[in-house]
Amino acid sequence: MNRRNALTHVAALLGGAFSAPTLLAMKRWEDHIPGESSPPGFTLTENQKLLVAEIAEMIIPRTSTPGAKDVGVPAFIVMMLQDCYKTPEHKSFLEGLSRLEKIQFLHLDAAQKTDALKQVEIDAAEEMKVYQVQQTKMGDNEDREQMAIQVKGLPYWRLMKELTMLGYFTSEEGLKSSFEYVPVPGKLEMIKMKPHQKAFAY
Amino acid sequence: MNLNLKSGKARTFDAIVVGSGMTGGMAAKELTEKGLQVLMIERGREVKHIEDYDTAMKGPWEFAHRGKVPVHSAEEYWANNRFGTLANEETGPFFTNDRDNPYIEKRPFDWIRAYHTGGKSMHWGRQSYRMNKQDFEANAKEGIAIDWPIRYEDLEPWYTHVEKFAGISGQAEGWEVLPDGHFLPAMPMSAPELYFRETMMKKLNRPVTIGRIANLTKPQPWHTDLGRASCQYRSKCARGCPYGGYYSSLSGAIPAARKTNRLTVLHDTIASEIIYDEKTKRAKGIRVIHQHTMAVEEFFAKIIFLNAGSMNTAALLLNSKSNRFPTGLGNDSDQVGRNIMDHHLGVGANATVEGFENDYIFGQRPNALYIPRFRNWGNDKKNFLRGYGYQGGASKSDWKRGITMNGFGANFKEEMSRPGTWTMGFGGFGEILPDPSNRMFLDAEKKDKWGIPMIVFDAAFGENELTMRKDMMASAVEMLEAAGFKNVTGFNRQDTHPGLGIHDMGTARMGKDPKSSVLNKFNQVHACKNVFVTDGAAMVSSGCVNPSITYMAMTARAAHHAVEELKKQNL
Repeated sequence: MNRRNALTHVAALLGGAFSAPTLLAMKRWEDHIPGESSPPGFTLTENQKLLVAEIAEMIIPRTSTPGAKDVGVPAFIVMMLQDCYKTPEHKSFLEGLSRLEKIQFLHLDAAQKTDALKQVEIDAAEEMKVYQVQQTKMGDNEDREQMAIQVKGLPYWRLMKELTMLGYFTSEEGLKSSFEYVPVPGKLEMIKMKPHQKAFAY
Repeated sequence: MNLNLKSGKARTFDAIVVGSGMTGGMAAKELTEKGLQVLMIERGREVKHIEDYDTAMKGPWEFAHRGKVPVHSAEEYWANNRFGTLANEETGPFFTNDRDNPYIEKRPFDWIRAYHTGGKSMHWGRQSYRMNKQDFEANAKEGIAIDWPIRYEDLEPWYTHVEKFAGISGQAEGWEVLPDGHFLPAMPMSAPELYFRETMMKKLNRPVTIGRIANLTKPQPWHTDLGRASCQYRSKCARGCPYGGYYSSLSGAIPAARKTNRLTVLHDTIASEIIYDEKTKRAKGIRVIHQHTMAVEEFFAKIIFLNAGSMNTAALLLNSKSNRFPTGLGNDSDQVGRNIMDHHLGVGANATVEGFENDYIFGQRPNALYIPRFRNWGNDKKNFLRGYGYQGGASKSDWKRGITMNGFGANFKEEMSRPGTWTMGFGGFGEILPDPSNRMFLDAEKKDKWGIPMIVFDAAFGENELTMRKDMMASAVEMLEAAGFKNVTGFNRQDTHPGLGIHDMGTARMGKDPKSSVLNKFNQVHACKNVFVTDGAAMVSSGCVNPSITYMAMTARAAHHAVEELKKQNL
C-alpha cells in the first residue's frame, strides 16, 4: 500500500462502518462526556461568565486571526472546570474571580485592566512556588507535567491561562490560523527555520 | 463468527493460543505458517485493523477535553491514570476499564491492561532492543535467583527472525551492551541531539544512539504484502495506525496468520482453566467463559500456548487445579506468580538548550534517543547491581511553554504561534531484580463477575531498585550538565509502583531445574510439556531494555520447537 492508497483507504473508512463492539466501546467512553459525575456546585454567575470571557479575550485577543471568544474558549473553560477538575481547583478559581469582582474589573478601562491582570500574574507566580511541578519524560519524547497531589487547588491565574491557551490553540480555527497544520507529514526532516516560521501543529 | 461449535470436532484444533497481543499474535503466526490449525482466544472485544481505529485521524479539536482526562474517566480507569494519563480520549478505547475489571492490591501495583484484539501491542512504546549476552549470565554470576536455561546465542536467530518481520528502524553501532539487530534505516537525530551524542562520547565516554523502534522507515515486500505502509511521522501511534506504520499484532502477526486460512479467533471469550488429562499427563484443552453470555465451553488441542500477558497467564495456571496439580498447573515449584519484575521509571532529568535557534523538525518523530546501560558495565562498579538505559531527547517547545511564562495579549499570542527554544530530557528504565516475595496470587474467596478468583498483587521495589534510582537521576543531571545545557532539573518520582513500566514479567520463569522453575528452556511447562508459556511470564531476569522483541523471539523459537516435537510425535 503506497501513501496515496493509504490515504484513500483511510478517507473511505472514516465515512465507513465501525464494528459494533467498537462503537459500543466508543459510546461507553463518550458517555462519560460531559461531566456525568461533575462534582456538584461548580457553576458561574452571569457576571463571572462575563469576567471569564473578558479575561480569556485579553489573553488571546482577536487580531488578524480569531480571538478566544471567537472560538468558544469561555464555554470551554467552564466545561473543563466542571469535567476535569475537583473541588480544590473549583475553589481557587472562584476565589480568583471574586478578587477580580471586588476591584470591579469589568468596569476598569483597558489600561487598568491590563495592569490588574499583570498584578494577578505576579501574585500567581508567588503562589505557584508551593507547587512541585515537574516535567517528566516518559520513555518517548512526550513531556508530561507531573504534580504531587495538592491540598490547595492550582491558582486561578494558572487555571485561567492554561485553559484559555488549551481551548484556543487546540480549537480548529485557533490551531489552523496560528500554526502550519500538518496532520499527515509523510516524512521526517531536520530543517532550518524560515523567516517568520510558524510552528507546525500535527 | 459463525462457527459450528456444537461438535467436538469443530472444537478441536492443532493448537490453542490464549491471547492476541504481542506474543499471542506471534505464536499464531508461526504456528499457522507451519501448517497448524490454530484457535486464538481473546478475552476482550474485537478490534479490526484500520477500520476500528476510530480516533486515528481526528484533529485535536475533535476531542472534547483535548487530551485531559475527565474526573469520571480517571476514576473508572484509575490504574491507568494513577500516575500519568495513559487512557485519555485519544487512546481510551484501547485501555481496560479498571473499575469493571478490578484487582486487589496488598501492595500497590499499576496494572495496565488492554483487553481487545492486539492487546498492549496496540499502544506499546515500540522500542525494540535485544538483551545482551551478559543479561543472560548475570543471575548465575551474581548468585541472584536462578540461571537462565538459555543464552543469547539461543535467541539470536529468532531475534533476527522477528525483527525482520516486524520491521525495526535503528542504527547498527557494534556495541556489546546493545547488540545490533536486523534494521531498517534509522530515523534522524535533531541538531542538539547530534551535538549531545558527540559531547557524551567525548566527555563521559557514554554512547548515545537513535531509538530502535518498530516503525517502518522503509517497508519491505513482506510488510507491504500485509498492507503495511511507511511511517507517516504523525506520532499518534497509540490511537492505532491506519497506515500500519508501526508493528502491532493487529497490523502484522494476525494478518499474516489469517493469510494461511488456518486461524480461528474467538473474542469476548475468557480462558478460565486449562483442562488437564490425568491419563496422558498432558493438557487437553481450555475451558472458557463467554464474556457476555456467561456460557461455558471447552476447546481441545494438541498444544497450548499461553500468551495472556504475564499476570493473566500466571492466573490461568494457578486457576487450573487438578489432582496432579492441586496448587495450579505447572506449580510444583511454587514459583507461579512469584518473581514479578518490570522496569522502574519516572526518574531522570530535564534541561533547556541554548542555541540551535535556526534548527527545526518537520514531522513528528515517534521515537527518541537511547542511551544504553553504562552502569556496572566494563570497569564501572556501583553500589547496586545491574543497570538502566535512558530514553528521551530534544524537542522544540510549542505553545504550551506559554502556560508557565508571563505574558498575555496580542504579542504573546503571536509569539506562541512560533516555535520556542529547545528542551532536552531523559527518563530511565531500570532493571528490577527477581524476588520471590514479589508476587501475585488468587484470592481465596473474592471472585470476579465470571466466577474466576480475583488477582491479588503483593510486590514492591527493593533496595537495589531504590538505590539505583538515585543514580539514575544523578547521572541524567550529570550528562545534561556536561553538555552545557541550562536549568537542569532532576526528577525521581516516588509515586510509581511495579507495573507502571507495563513490562510486567517473571511469573512463570524458565529454568533448568523443575524444583525452582516453571518452564524448561523451550518454554514448556516442566511437568506438562504441551503447555508453552512464551509471554513475559517466562523471564528469569528483566535486563533493562524494553522486552517485547525478546518475548517475540522466545515465542517464535518455542513455536518452532513445538512443531518439531509434534512431528516427532513427542507431544
